[in-house]
Amino acid sequence: MRRYVRIFREFFRACFVEELEYRSEFLGNLVSSFFGIGIAILTVNIFFYQTDQLGGWAYADVLVLLGVFNTLRGMIDFALRPNMPRLLEHVRRGTLDYILTKPVDSMFYVSFRHLVFWRLIDVLLGLGVIGYGLMVKRYIPSLFDVLIFLITIAASFVLIYSLWMMLMTTSFWVIRIDDLSFIFDSFFETARFPVGMYRGWMRVVLTYVLPAAVITNMPALSLLGKWNMATALIAVSLALVFLWLARRFWRFALRFYTSASS
Amino acid sequence: MIRKYIALLRMKYIEMLAYRLATLVWMTGAIVQPLITMAVWMNIDPSQSDAFLFYFMAVIFVERMTSAWDVWELDREIREGTFSNYIIRPLHPIHWAIAENVVYKVLFVAILAPIWAIAALFVPALRFDVTGGQALLFLAAVLLGAALRFLLSYICGLLGFWITKVTAVYGVLEAISLFLSGRIAPLSMLPPMLQQWSVFLPFRYMIGFPIDIVTGAANGHDMLQGFAIASIWVAVFIIALRWIWIAGLKKNQAVGG
Repeated sequence: MRRYVRIFREFFRACFVEELEYRSEFLGNLVSSFFGIGIAILTVNIFFYQTDQLGGWAYADVLVLLGVFNTLRGMIDFALRPNMPRLLEHVRRGTLDYILTKPVDSMFYVSFRHLVFWRLIDVLLGLGVIGYGLMVKRYIPSLFDVLIFLITIAASFVLIYSLWMMLMTTSFWVIRIDDLSFIFDSFFETARFPVGMYRGWMRVVLTYVLPAAVITNMPALSLLGKWNMATALIAVSLALVFLWLARRFWRFALRFYTSASS
Repeated sequence: MIRKYIALLRMKYIEMLAYRLATLVWMTGAIVQPLITMAVWMNIDPSQSDAFLFYFMAVIFVERMTSAWDVWELDREIREGTFSNYIIRPLHPIHWAIAENVVYKVLFVAILAPIWAIAALFVPALRFDVTGGQALLFLAAVLLGAALRFLLSYICGLLGFWITKVTAVYGVLEAISLFLSGRIAPLSMLPPMLQQWSVFLPFRYMIGFPIDIVTGAANGHDMLQGFAIASIWVAVFIIALRWIWIAGLKKNQAVGG
């Protein structure tokens, strides 16, 4: 475990040095992040121009949810997204050989080797929106709320990582598509709003099959003080189950890797 | 010219077949956002569910018909220097892009129209009743919308001669158009100020305007005004495109090669 922390730190350093070469882009990225969150808040405002609740959530609650959403998306863009096209490339060219022969866990390596730092701005902005939402609501979360929030958002990240990893692993079979990440994006978009908003089978799917409900709604609810121990436990165990599944799937897929002729 | 186009269309058709799986997956990716927005609106005003269903299905259809991806292609080609391959050919590169758009959009119609027809058998909300004139106007509006979006995307792409972040510029425009084109909400649901803006900017004519014609939300005066403004924008874009093209070629310094 310590070794992996050290390796991650090394990835971190290497990518940071790489990123410093493109310092001039920082301002542009900053602007685009602010613009993105501004658009998202404007969208919520447009919806609330016509209503005062969305799936049972008030304006401030939806803002907190949006903050959670943005934070998690920032994390995805920081650590996971940059690696997806690279794995596809490795499989296509057969250069995955170099990774498999390294004395590091291959799943760890392919998912965290490349990091995009400026995306951490989105994480900060997300936290900012959470804070703003709480301010609008005039609610100060208790210590327990924050604790449960941290636990559930960690579970969300593990869940996202597992789903993402499973999608990425399919690149052993579907190498024709340049970038599979938008399939994940489509699903993740549904997590932007309260699950209670969806009806019928959509709600069932989003609660149990693709757990958008758990990923963003649970942390937001925790912070708003509407948590209970049972759901938090469900979130954590769900995350662990998905992580296990992703792990199994990766192992299974590796058996199909035949390397390209070199 | 016609012979050249036939050759281009055939070439693009074969290219498309090679990427048919990717095309389908991209298509499914494009329908999620309207569906989620639809769910939001249905939740806000359940009594209007059928109207929202029709509206957002129409958004998916029109959005596909007018979609434009040239800015990403141009950005990549100009940055990597492969755009030079097109510049030295005797035919203006825009014709390749036009041919590609035609081929893909015919495919979109061929897929979406039957789906709509079958869905309308089971879902009454999807049936619509238009006069022949309305249908023609709708088609004309979709064509105008497609032209507008294509031109805008191509212009942005050509800006790649000067700046490296054209996709970011286009992203900003897309985000603005999210509101003003009617994708986030039927324009009548927007605050009055945004509605006013939407009339004069080109975005509304890319998606919302054709739909308003079919649903009957636009009356004669609105339509006349809409077609006039959209045509003006097309003219402006064409002039801008020509100008940027000429200036861009002078600036071009094929990187890599």
